[in-house]
Amino acid sequence: MYVDSKSTDFEVHRNWLAITHSLPLWDWYYEKTSEWTLDYPPFFAYFEWIMSQVAKLADPAMIRVHNLEYDSWQTVYFQRWTVIVTELVLVYALHMFVDSAHGVSKRAAQAAAVSILLSPGLLIIDHIHFQYNGVMYGILIASLVLAKKRSSLLASGLVFAALLCMKHIYLYLAPAYFVYLLRVYCLSPKSIFRIQFFNCVKLGGGIVGIFAAAFGPFALKNQIPQIFSRLFPFSRGLCHAYWAPNVWAMYSFMDRLLIGLAPRIGLPIKADALNSVTRGLVGDTSFAVLPDITPRMCFVLTLLFQAIPLVKLFMKPTWEGFIGGVTLCGYASFLFGWHVHEKAILLVIIPFSLIALKDRRYLGAFRPLAVAGHVSLFPLIFTPAEFPIKTIYTIFWLVLFLMAFDRLAPAPTRQRLFLFDRFSTIYITISIPLIFYCSLVHGIIFGKSLEFLPLMFTSSYSAIGVVGSWLGFMVVYFTE
Amino acid sequence: MAGPSPHKPRRKVKQAGGNGPSSLPVIMEREALVRVPSFPLAAFLWPARSSVSQWELLPLILMVVGLFRWAAGLWGYSGFKKPPIFGDYEAQRHWMEITTHLPISQWYFHDLEWWGLDYPPLTAYHSWICGKIGSLIDPAWFALYDSRGSHDPTLKIFMRATVLVSEYLIYIPAAVIFVRRFSRLSGVPAWTSSVALVAILMQPATILVDHVHFQYNTVMLGFVLASMSSMLAGRNFWVSFFFVMALGFKQMALYYAFSVFAYLLGVCVFPYINIPRFIGIALATAVSFAILLLPIVAGTLSEASRGITAHPGDSHPPLPLFADLAKHLNTDAFYYPVVEQLVQMIHRVFPFARGLFEDKVANFWCAANVVIKLRKYPAELLQRGALVATLAAIIPPNLILFLRPNKHLLPFAFATTAWGFFLFSYQVHEKSVLLPLMPMTLLLAGRQGLGKDTRAWVGFANILGCWTMYPLLQRVDLRVPYTVLTLLWAYLLGLPPTSLNAYFQDGSSIWSQWATAFIHGFFYLTMAFWHVLDMFVVAPKDKPDLWVVANVGVGAVGFSLCYLWCLGSLVIESEILPTSWTGKKTKAKTQ
Repeated sequence: MYVDSKSTDFEVHRNWLAITHSLPLWDWYYEKTSEWTLDYPPFFAYFEWIMSQVAKLADPAMIRVHNLEYDSWQTVYFQRWTVIVTELVLVYALHMFVDSAHGVSKRAAQAAAVSILLSPGLLIIDHIHFQYNGVMYGILIASLVLAKKRSSLLASGLVFAALLCMKHIYLYLAPAYFVYLLRVYCLSPKSIFRIQFFNCVKLGGGIVGIFAAAFGPFALKNQIPQIFSRLFPFSRGLCHAYWAPNVWAMYSFMDRLLIGLAPRIGLPIKADALNSVTRGLVGDTSFAVLPDITPRMCFVLTLLFQAIPLVKLFMKPTWEGFIGGVTLCGYASFLFGWHVHEKAILLVIIPFSLIALKDRRYLGAFRPLAVAGHVSLFPLIFTPAEFPIKTIYTIFWLVLFLMAFDRLAPAPTRQRLFLFDRFSTIYITISIPLIFYCSLVHGIIFGKSLEFLPLMFTSSYSAIGVVGSWLGFMVVYFTE
Repeated sequence: MAGPSPHKPRRKVKQAGGNGPSSLPVIMEREALVRVPSFPLAAFLWPARSSVSQWELLPLILMVVGLFRWAAGLWGYSGFKKPPIFGDYEAQRHWMEITTHLPISQWYFHDLEWWGLDYPPLTAYHSWICGKIGSLIDPAWFALYDSRGSHDPTLKIFMRATVLVSEYLIYIPAAVIFVRRFSRLSGVPAWTSSVALVAILMQPATILVDHVHFQYNTVMLGFVLASMSSMLAGRNFWVSFFFVMALGFKQMALYYAFSVFAYLLGVCVFPYINIPRFIGIALATAVSFAILLLPIVAGTLSEASRGITAHPGDSHPPLPLFADLAKHLNTDAFYYPVVEQLVQMIHRVFPFARGLFEDKVANFWCAANVVIKLRKYPAELLQRGALVATLAAIIPPNLILFLRPNKHLLPFAFATTAWGFFLFSYQVHEKSVLLPLMPMTLLLAGRQGLGKDTRAWVGFANILGCWTMYPLLQRVDLRVPYTVLTLLWAYLLGLPPTSLNAYFQDGSSIWSQWATAFIHGFFYLTMAFWHVLDMFVVAPKDKPDLWVVANVGVGAVGFSLCYLWCLGSLVIESEILPTSWTGKKTKAKTQ
């Protein structure tokens, strides 16, 4: 509904509409008129192609490749509408989720479903910043819900495979799927040494079929390497333009602190890193004091921390454990991944929402995550006109749902970690002055200088929240 | 302190969860008004029904209505990129420009061709404050002469913020307090009054005019509301103070003046004649006016002593009004600049020189103009005719209010009087429909306010009001916010075109239900049909305004019905007539 804001992603999607509509299939991944080349997997490209058929009716000029930065009002209205309409998928998935809950947990499920639907994350990213996350998270939730029943396990796996072919970021969650489906669907429930071959064939065949449908046409022309070079740009830096609130943000923050302290403790400083202009702001990050990080290290750490909960999931495969596993995989990849975008936090928040109301201990871990995740999305939107919308809406959402969740979550069967509760209360309290400072006070005091400071505060603050909540949830997960 | 506090609510919740199911029927019985959510807005607030305290609900409500206002404000404003003179937005911006740059004595004299100041002094002071704050951020926004027609996007945000802040400082607290007092007076439970509050604050017409089209009506409406809620609280001095402030912000508040006067007089006369109270109220009014005029009078005097005059050059032009006054007064005396100032202000504020109606307004005169060409009559006659008609329309409700100064009658009387003014008075603007709509919408907070009958009529008036403003909004390409906000409100309150559940209830007579449903149905269908016509059929060449005129005609008839309904309800509620009569009256009204 918001007409005025157009981020770069808006142009990205317009350009993709144009590419998929006017070029033959095999040129899609080679086209580079615009700097925003198509870097999503093929199903998403097909999805854009379908939309472009409608777009043709709305405004034909919109889908010409060379029409860069084109934004007639028809284009704007059309693109906004597609987001709203495709979000119906999310609505349907949430409906499935509510239907799958029974008895006492029905109300909790309803609250969780509404909270996801109204999530400020989706509002900020989809409706203001412009992306199609609604539809994709809808598919993800549908797949998670399908995994609840034994009869629809196969469907769940296949839906997830299709989702992977739409946006490869969900690859982060794939290990949990793999382990869960392997244990529950491919191996016999009684013993892990009896393999159910027929199920394996069904699942494997289905997945191969889906991947073939997606990548097949491109494989015919031997374009797979080109697609992969577009999909996985390892040349980018450790941190994204704005720091995603993960471990590496804390790491760089420490580095900055150490730059000041190093001469006193006698640590060597790398001069070239210190002089680099971008210093943490854009793309390539190099550290002055602490050792540099390589993609391989990220990868190993991510896998390690994904593996820990998955072992537990393998031993004790319940649906709730599975959702917890998916959440923890999201956490691990978000915290330790290479070039993580802050939008990826939804990958953690949304699966977590589904089980946050299980009892108070889950909720305790969810709370700092909800605050931190949403606060970390703030820098995505920086025009003054949208500032009130994002802040007030987020605060509204947090107050409403944390209050509602508090009422709905049943008491846990086990002892809570009281220290952790203190942490989350203090943490949530700090967010208020922080938002206030970053958005208002800083501009008044320093004007345009030291622009990175609020960003750094926001991301370090959020990083503490996300890491804290991760640790808390790990504890909950393993004591369950 | 921080130690035990996080645990407390949990224990409470545990208990509530434990005996929740058993206590539910009890709560349901206590909620006499609504047993199941009968319309979507009630359904949204349904979970907050039993346990949530008002202090948790209120901030959430305010946040949501604020969001809607701000999001609506992202749309364009009136006069955006429409030279030569732009629109209301430019007028307000220009006033900030002149009040911050010119000496106070020149405010009402400066370049009257370019949006000269024609609102009472409080608007000028308000503009001065906003202009000062704005100049701190960016002086170029309000640079004298150079800033005319500025379309700086940051300026737009600033201007939107001034509307929002002004509204949150005046209108919204007043509305919250009024709704609370009024619902307590009418014995309505707190949860129901919260529903009514949301409905009142989400009124589409107000949001469209103030936050989208751009004006500061809510400041004036807020003062009137504050005045009404002082009436409920029985603080008569504050009544007059707030009302004078409303008048001082926008002369349009005169629509309500008769009701305020009738009520205050009634309070002084019934149940027994209370002379000290009367004198006190008169004094309070006089003092309020003095406060209102003090800055401009004092400023003029001090500037005159320093040799700054209202109009540089010409020493003593004739007074625009009461020209004879100059003969009796010494034009060189120290008080003369003040006299001149005040006369000029009255001249600017009350434009007697303009026509009977300005644009196409859905009032009686404009509609009658379709049948008989009124312009051929002399202006004198028309003015007198308008005066007589207006008085005829407003005397009955105010007489009732004077004879029965009951607090729960206030919204009825205010709405009836404002409708009378809107329909029959001189020089009405489309946006003035906000004035009758405001008290009428307040009825939602009263006894049976969310019952079907009141909801149907209040909703009808509001949607019709928005609909008559459609030509105005369409001119500046605001169709989308119009559609969204109006339909949203209709949806929330379960009104046509989204639902028919506001009609047909059990309890009241089947005849009146069918009559209401029939009349409203007819109007809703007409409105829908009109929209289709307007969109797809081009008006015939010789009558380019045909659709607008049709809009005006339908609107005027619908508003007249609203007037009659308010008057009828006032008569019934006041129980001023013997019961046998009121029975007849209802039938007569509905037939």
